Amino acid sequence: MSTILELFLVFFKIGACSFGGLSMIPVINEEMVRHGWMTLSEVSDIVAIAEMTPGPLGINAATFAGIQAGGLLGAVAATLGAVTCGLTLCLAGSVFLARLKGNPYLERFTYGIRPVCIGIMLATAVNLRANYQGTGGAVSIPALVVGLVSLWLLVKRNWPVPRVIAAAAALGLLLGGL
Amino acid sequence: MKEKKSLPRWAEMTLTMFKIGLFTFGGGWSIVAQIQKEFVEIRGWLTKEELLDIVTIARSFPGIMVINISVMLGYTLGGVPGALLCAFGMALPAFLVMTVVTACYTAIRENPWVARVMVGVRAAVVPIILSAAVNLWKTAIRDRTGLVIAGMAFLLPLLGVSNILVIFLGGGAGLALQTLRAVRAQKREGGDGE
Repeated sequence: MSTILELFLVFFKIGACSFGGLSMIPVINEEMVRHGWMTLSEVSDIVAIAEMTPGPLGINAATFAGIQAGGLLGAVAATLGAVTCGLTLCLAGSVFLARLKGNPYLERFTYGIRPVCIGIMLATAVNLRANYQGTGGAVSIPALVVGLVSLWLLVKRNWPVPRVIAAAAALGLLLGGL
Repeated sequence: MKEKKSLPRWAEMTLTMFKIGLFTFGGGWSIVAQIQKEFVEIRGWLTKEELLDIVTIARSFPGIMVINISVMLGYTLGGVPGALLCAFGMALPAFLVMTVVTACYTAIRENPWVARVMVGVRAAVVPIILSAAVNLWKTAIRDRTGLVIAGMAFLLPLLGVSNILVIFLGGGAGLALQTLRAVRAQKREGGDGE
């Protein structure tokens, strides 16, 4: 029971600290590892899986972590936790929609939040360097090659993310034996 | 010609959100584009301007962006029940699909071929995060102050400061700095008038 409640509370916290898209990953990362619900590589897996499956990342991550930590009931609790903050605040926001339009304080808050999202995303990328290490901590050449190819496909070729993941999976299968 | 039996509005709303949630990959903007198509263009239930207002405000609220948008859209279309139904319709497909995917993942992850695939997939995650940060850069960092905030937000987590604290420090800094600037600008204008 306490795990179920904890899942709800942790994902409530994650939801309350999310300001759009992948900027949610750093907080998910921190909380999952701290509670021992997921390892760093499992967090990476869930990001990739979430990008390949329909729906928002937050719901995908909550369902995944919830099942791992507390079964189906855990998944329901985590998902409810993830949406609660947005649900309550946005309902209140809808009532005052006219007054919130162009509100200077909201704009000043997001002026600070958006650069932070970029900063913590980059820090998470550094923390995920374990993805390029094999057993024993040595650099894994196949992983490094796949990483560089994926970066090139995303930035230079503008491939959509699900297609890049599919390509990375195929490359991993091909190079994994090296 | 047989007339298509029309559903009550609340049911059609929920089903449409379910459909968007089920068939839209990649989150964020692709979902907004689908909402625009289904509710603005096909049904005409709200105007393009209303949707734009909703998206702008939903984005500056904490939470899962797509759920925030669903809540505000649902409220506009059908009050509090509409908001709950739209959020439910949007979240349900992701929940159902992920339940199945998680079961499969747990069952096959130990397989050596799957392990190889996952080495590749994990290696793609850092580039995905990097490119998302690059895409966000132009709209997020508007001046040197923004750059300094981003730099601090990069360093602090690496020094062991919690991301959550960093997020709210950033929001507070933005609020304080921009308010200070606005007050100063107002004073200067006032001074000119005297």
